[in-house]
Amino acid sequence: MGELVSRFPGAQRALFRGHHIGGCSSCGFQPEETLAQVCARNENLPVDEAVRTIISAHEADERMQIAPAEAAELVKAGKARLIDLRSREEWDATHIEGSTFFTQELSHTLGGLPREELIVFVCHHGVRSLDAAAYFAGHGLENVRSLGGGIDAWSREVDPNIPRYELE
Amino acid sequence: MSDDLRQKIDDAIAEPKNLGEMENADAVGTAGSADCGDMLRMWIKFREEDGKKVIDRATFQTFGCETAIAVASLATQLIQGKTPAEALAMDGQALSAPLGALPPMRIHCAQLVEGALRQALSGAPVPKAAEPARVNAPTLMDSFAPARNTATKPVRVILKPKAE
Repeated sequence: MGELVSRFPGAQRALFRGHHIGGCSSCGFQPEETLAQVCARNENLPVDEAVRTIISAHEADERMQIAPAEAAELVKAGKARLIDLRSREEWDATHIEGSTFFTQELSHTLGGLPREELIVFVCHHGVRSLDAAAYFAGHGLENVRSLGGGIDAWSREVDPNIPRYELE
Repeated sequence: MSDDLRQKIDDAIAEPKNLGEMENADAVGTAGSADCGDMLRMWIKFREEDGKKVIDRATFQTFGCETAIAVASLATQLIQGKTPAEALAMDGQALSAPLGALPPMRIHCAQLVEGALRQALSGAPVPKAAEPARVNAPTLMDSFAPARNTATKPVRVILKPKAE
């Protein structure tokens, strides 16, 4: 499952949404388990069905991502807003100028932002931001995207002055 | 899950009703644990009808799975026009009745809806869902809410040297 989630970052969300697998501790899975093992102890869900769910969600996820260069252009033109989901420590270490730190209070106001402005969620590598974009899209926000590759990709492809980092 | 239940859930989530936050709600209830991806919040607005207070409208938001969304969508329609006492008399089974019997693993999805409704209407403690069997499994909230993780495990950021 660890490799699967690494290859398909939205797999956990897709399995939970579609089959109630992996969303909470009572039905979660461990990285060393196989998909077949997880399916077997979840009402013997056919593995093929789980795979179809994951691939379908992955294709939808890809449509929800935006490349750093394209996002940068939209931000520059005032057509997109970057919202940073990372921890306070990561934000303090580095962040994209003009981006906004995500808070629970902010999450309640997202629906009131201008619809013509794209909301681009940012995290370290573009995984959590994909979950956030999918969540808010599922709650009626159509103008949401996830920054592909996260702030790490932004540093490599848009602004090398943004330092890359690792977490300990 | 039976094909019939699958179809009913698919139908319900294809166009979920009453999804979203409600401004100026008279009551709000939340169910679910911060340790679990299942979270559901329900907003309720009342109106007076024949001298009685009845539920005018209910809306919801959830981190839950499709079953939770389907049950919440149905429940917010079922309780419309009911008095708080009539709505409180409905348990998870009643709130999910249009879906038919839920398999054991999905029962707590209906309990989540019942819990949010109870908390909104009475402030009563939320019914406790089944005890987690795999306490160390990663959850959706773990991946979505880094701030919560940092409360227990401080993050140390190590900047990489700038590439030449």
